[in-house]
Amino acid sequence: MIEKPRTGMDYHSLNAMLNLYDTEGNIQFDKDREAAREYFLQHVNQNTVFFHSLKERLDYLVEKNYYEPEVLEQYDFAFVQQLTDRAYGKKFRFPTFLGAFKYYTSYTLKTFDGQRYLERYEDRVVMVALALAAGDEELATSLVDEIIAGRFQPATPTFLNAGKAQRGEFVSCFLLRIEDNMESIGRSINSALQLSKRGGGVALSLSNIREAGAPIKHIENQSSGIIPVMKLLEDSFTYANQLGARQGAGAVYLSAHHPDIMKFMDTKRENADEKIRIKTLSLGIVVPDITFELARTNEDMYLFSPYDVERVYGVPFGDISITEKYHEMVDDSRIRKTKISARSFFQTVAELQFESGYPYIVFEDTVNRANPVKGRINMSNLCSEILQVNTPSVFNEDLTYEETGKDISCNLGSMNIATAMDGGDLGKTVEIAVRGLTAVSTQSSIDSVPSIKYGNDRAHAIGLGQMNLHGYLGRERIHYGSEEGVDFTNIYFYTVLFHAIAASNKIAKEQGTSFEGFADSKYASGEFFDKYTEQEWVPATGRVAELFAEAGIAIPTQDDWRELKASVQEHGIFNQNLQAVPPTGSISYINNSTSSIHPIASKIEIRKEGKLGRVYYPAPFMTNDNLEYFQDAYEIGPEKIIDTYAAATQHVDQGLSLTLFFQDTATTRDINKAQIYAWRKGIKTIYYIRIRQLALEGTEVDGCVSCML
Amino acid sequence: MTEKLTLVSHVDAINWNRIQDDKDVEVWNRLTANFWLPEKVPISGDIQSWATLTPEEQTLTMRVFTGLTLLDTIQGTVGAVSLIPDALTPHEEAVYTNIAFMESVHAKSYSSIFSTLCSTKEIDEAFRWSTENQNLQRKAQIVLEYYHGDDPLKRKVASTLLESFLFYSGFYLPMHWSSRAKLTNTADMIRLIIRDEAVHGYYIGYKFQKGLEKETPERREELKEYTFNLLYDLYENEVQYTHDLYDGLGMAEDVKKFLHYNANKALMNLGYEALFPSNVCDVSPAILSALSPNADENHDFFSGSGSSYVIGKHEETTDDDWDF
Repeated sequence: MIEKPRTGMDYHSLNAMLNLYDTEGNIQFDKDREAAREYFLQHVNQNTVFFHSLKERLDYLVEKNYYEPEVLEQYDFAFVQQLTDRAYGKKFRFPTFLGAFKYYTSYTLKTFDGQRYLERYEDRVVMVALALAAGDEELATSLVDEIIAGRFQPATPTFLNAGKAQRGEFVSCFLLRIEDNMESIGRSINSALQLSKRGGGVALSLSNIREAGAPIKHIENQSSGIIPVMKLLEDSFTYANQLGARQGAGAVYLSAHHPDIMKFMDTKRENADEKIRIKTLSLGIVVPDITFELARTNEDMYLFSPYDVERVYGVPFGDISITEKYHEMVDDSRIRKTKISARSFFQTVAELQFESGYPYIVFEDTVNRANPVKGRINMSNLCSEILQVNTPSVFNEDLTYEETGKDISCNLGSMNIATAMDGGDLGKTVEIAVRGLTAVSTQSSIDSVPSIKYGNDRAHAIGLGQMNLHGYLGRERIHYGSEEGVDFTNIYFYTVLFHAIAASNKIAKEQGTSFEGFADSKYASGEFFDKYTEQEWVPATGRVAELFAEAGIAIPTQDDWRELKASVQEHGIFNQNLQAVPPTGSISYINNSTSSIHPIASKIEIRKEGKLGRVYYPAPFMTNDNLEYFQDAYEIGPEKIIDTYAAATQHVDQGLSLTLFFQDTATTRDINKAQIYAWRKGIKTIYYIRIRQLALEGTEVDGCVSCML
Repeated sequence: MTEKLTLVSHVDAINWNRIQDDKDVEVWNRLTANFWLPEKVPISGDIQSWATLTPEEQTLTMRVFTGLTLLDTIQGTVGAVSLIPDALTPHEEAVYTNIAFMESVHAKSYSSIFSTLCSTKEIDEAFRWSTENQNLQRKAQIVLEYYHGDDPLKRKVASTLLESFLFYSGFYLPMHWSSRAKLTNTADMIRLIIRDEAVHGYYIGYKFQKGLEKETPERREELKEYTFNLLYDLYENEVQYTHDLYDGLGMAEDVKKFLHYNANKALMNLGYEALFPSNVCDVSPAILSALSPNADENHDFFSGSGSSYVIGKHEETTDDDWDF
């Protein structure tokens, strides 16, 4: 659908000029705005179906099976009209080409032949609000206000699908356990297919599966371990590709003390044999504290046979705290074990991260110490920000469930820190976001994977994320990772946590019910609140106090927390989990945010996606005058990123996707040092490691913004 | 083409602890860190995208890749190897062996694109086209002639022009597709190749300049004239070749600008001033921006591994690092 331009340059070329300096050495921001404008003139406006009135439009879309009539039937037409007018009255405009391009390419409703657009941005926002509010006019109005103003942005699957008759699920993130038997492995592959077909990213834990060479039916040397399972999963994800829209995506997690750990990592080697090479599956490892201790003393680390461990302890390997049982298991002759040097294990991890960016790391003991809910966390998801407890399922021979365990799904959505601060009512923004996400949970029913449905029905877990931290700090002329930057992060997340719990408590009151297991949680015991009632949290710097005061946002006091604690202990909270900070790709472009709470990867970011090709995106709020506050992640370096994340992590019940960025002058040792630092600072997970190799002097592209420093 | 290859007559054990030219080590390190194999890139992710190309576009793409395969084959089996006997240092020889090997990797990667996206019949037809296209064959012939000539510096000129100029009429197309959201994984692989070729052209050009320093002013003048003459020859042929390929889709004009841009780049590598004025080098920004292989690219999980990872340097941690 790309036309020849009528005059001058086409929008792709205008957009690409962002990545080239002008003759004075300035970044050409105006070219990108021109690209966005040309995109509408040359493409969008010409390809949008015109309707005389909203009534005509809605009748048509319902009749032709584009919109779900059930969503609209919950409201009077007069209200829908009023809400639409309200949305259009906000005069929303996409500030960047990528924002507009991404929205129209991937989100908006199109005719079935894919040729013409049936929605503008405002129409999509109204439909999402109507669907989530389920007949509640006040909530629908608030959702429109929050979304149009950019303060709250539902995650892609929700924003993309809500209100459409031909749609996928509202949730996109699933975590499944695999147990050490063929039924569980088989059912997992089916689940991977089913969930991929519905647009989800799926993570699976392999820790429980017996190692290569373990016995099957007591006959030794029978099992082929986890690699063939990974191959099966990789092929499954490649096969299920959502009507060709995109390939399925999956991740697998393995305990660092699983005997196949080295083979697991070698699948990502540059020179790995084709039979074992894993190309598209993401890898994560689960590392307990003991592994760090062993590396500290430069000892060997023992790897334990999951098959034997399960027989000795009666629970799957992944459900054991290795730190706690380590020495006991070393001394237990019934458990087969092998050993490798702990330091060389960490070095191998760093080597692989250099070559491939993988594996992700979950710091298992940190995660479980911070978990307010009863149970054990033994894995994470595709973006390493979901951290929830799970329980095993037991299968019959025909793969039906003999006993349904709890698997995990997560409903995500993110707030834009800059617009949320500008809005001045952080409490309301958080509450509307929590209600929006809770609606996603109550409206979701993943029947194809009963353990997911079972878990969701009982946990109503949500993951409220944040984005645009760097954009906000840059606009306020604060350096990312500076004392003020870290201070702001701390107080902001502290305040959000308060309002998130308050909102969930309010919903519990209204519904008269809490998540299953509330009574056994640290919320119910009150222990969770100790660090807020016993300790005062206030800005450490004048600048941050000023920012909150100017925005008119109150910082919760110890008394506020005491009150909240009492209310929670009396009425409970509705959502088992509340916050998780995802890496936010697509939605941050639409929302004009920097992604997540990361620093920008580049002043002009190159975005590559199957559907978009290469498109260029300027950091929000960046101008030629404030460039110094928009240092990129490679210049900022790992320590400041870790400091910022540590400040946020202490107020987040789940995880935060944390990518570390290195120049190519770094060695494996630098990566190891950053891992140690992160672990010591209480970071829960590490997502990708990214290495930037600059062009060799003399070979760079002339005048290219993203290639020169 | 049947003359005997001149081999180096005397070899000493290479001592990497006695470096005559630091550039050798720098480039060696860069090339080895950049090592990759085609199997790393999930080309199969492009199968559906391939199906959205028109038959003409598919044919063009295959022809472009067969052309590139031919150049990489020449460079791998003759070009880089022919530079070895003239090397000034043993380390330079080692770098050429690396270059020769990577060129063979490149040649193979086009085949892995073909085998993933096309049928055997289509592949055979595209290769047949490449052996029958006069301009492509002439390009190969010109370069081969100079490789078999007896002037070491002229060989370097030919080699640099091949690495920095002749490849780019072909590279244009995958970059064009990727800026239009087509064949993005293939583009990742091509970007890896471009990353390598950029270093190769730079290095050989550098060695040419080193060699030039030892020459008389007359001889320098001769080599300069020779370089520009050869470039004109190649350029004329390249323009024909570009028209053969791209006329059908109306892209020839923009590809030519790209040729000018890269011809200037090749001259720069050889230490000469630009030939084409900047107003005929204004390549589409979408293509120019697409060339950068740096890690600034952000991609989602659904879209392959990107073209930015490298093999890292190992360094053991010490007790201090673990002191917590």
